[in-house]
Amino acid sequence: MIRIVTLDPFEEKPLAKLKSTLYTAFGVGSEHSGSAEIPPGLGEPLDAEKLLDQVKGIRAYQDDKVLLLTSRKLKERELPSGVAPTPGFARQGKDRAVITLQPHKDLETSFKPVARHALHQLGHLWELHHCLDPRCSMYPPWTPSFNSGEPIFCTFCREKSEQKIRLAKS
Amino acid sequence: MPEGSASLNQLAVGDRVVYPNQGVCRVTAIDTKVVAGQSLVFVTMRREEDGAVVMVPEAKVVAIGVRKVANAEDVKSVFAFLRSDGDKADLDWKQRARTNLERMTQGGILGLAEVVKDLQILSELRPLPTKERELYDNARHLLVSEVAAALGTAEVNAEDAIDIVLFPPGRERPKRTAAEFARGEEDDLGLDGDLIGLDGDLDLPSDEEPPAEPAEEENSEEEGSEEESEEKSSDEDAPKKRGRPPKAKPAEAESAEPAAPKKRGRPPKPKPEAPPAGAEPAAPKKRGRPPKAKPPEAEGAEPAAPKKRGRPPKAKPADGGED
Repeated sequence: MIRIVTLDPFEEKPLAKLKSTLYTAFGVGSEHSGSAEIPPGLGEPLDAEKLLDQVKGIRAYQDDKVLLLTSRKLKERELPSGVAPTPGFARQGKDRAVITLQPHKDLETSFKPVARHALHQLGHLWELHHCLDPRCSMYPPWTPSFNSGEPIFCTFCREKSEQKIRLAKS
Repeated sequence: MPEGSASLNQLAVGDRVVYPNQGVCRVTAIDTKVVAGQSLVFVTMRREEDGAVVMVPEAKVVAIGVRKVANAEDVKSVFAFLRSDGDKADLDWKQRARTNLERMTQGGILGLAEVVKDLQILSELRPLPTKERELYDNARHLLVSEVAAALGTAEVNAEDAIDIVLFPPGRERPKRTAAEFARGEEDDLGLDGDLIGLDGDLDLPSDEEPPAEPAEEENSEEEGSEEESEEKSSDEDAPKKRGRPPKAKPAEAESAEPAAPKKRGRPPKPKPEAPPAGAEPAAPKKRGRPPKAKPPEAEGAEPAAPKKRGRPPKAKPADGGED
């Protein structure tokens, strides 16, 4: 199951639409599992890695994947090859991911790019790597055309994610 | 000897090594086992990703290409290579597959980077076939896990570090042409119908125009000779025509009407001849099973009793049998 946990207030209608988009993409049920508080001491922009480690109060089963949704900015990461824009973060094969609404204003008007980022980070939780197909949600998220695509996977990534989900269930 | 392969003297329990095509492993034991009456020294390694265990005989360690995990300097050279604009991949799929296999098994971390970069650039020319897409994914996964192990960072950060170089932020991937992949041959782009790796496996007709039919040769010879000379001069400049040549149209006679378009499908059923004037119109066809013929009745006979149906009643036993 995919559990959406909001760190800031969001409207129910776009959240319901996000749930059904995630279900269509992964074939796994999703629900809005309430909200959680941002740990104190994490100033803006938020450090995504620390946020995933320190946020508390989330109840989930072992197989569940948790998607944290926030409207605050995430800090860009300094990597050996350069600075990586961070619209979201997830550790490969683990159980928590975080995405931000920034630079968009609200979920309803910017639903498509936010849903695409959600699919991207959840894909990393199911061990998907970045894809070569610009239409796929696993395409690198800092490319200019990423925000204008549909929240879908290419055939290759879809099959891989289904395989991983099936293996996790068995 | 494969690039970076380690000798057994350098391996110790607890070392992190890379097993080609498998990923980062940790040496858990180096001990002697008896196999088929022979005493052999085995190096036992456990893959960090999923815990799979592999045992390799001492003599095979170098031949297989087991090597120590790359260090930070190697990772820097990988990033520099990924940034550079080097040779493009071979368009001949057989050659490319052979080269990539060699790079994956014996090329070290730089070999993995070469496979990833080559296939990523090739995907900018055309979508990768399934097998190559899987190879790309596999090489990418191995490269990411080795870079993460070398830098001591999370895999997601290693992957993003590699992708920032391959897909620079703020820039779209370029659309490439086959000419960029040419290997210095001016006349031949090296394609030769090999874009999909068929290499003459399909039995297609040659690119030359089929010879004209004999009945029409006299008519078309004069017209054709002028065209041929034009064709010859233009052929040298025009790119090679591919695929099946168009069907030769039959020559039309000067006064002939333009041919009617071909009719397709089943011809219509001929209608029956109309009956002569004054004759009664034909009765409509009767359909279905004809009624059963009634048996002939004798004169003065009573009408037959209706047929009895069902099981006949059981015969009652005789009264004398009762006590």
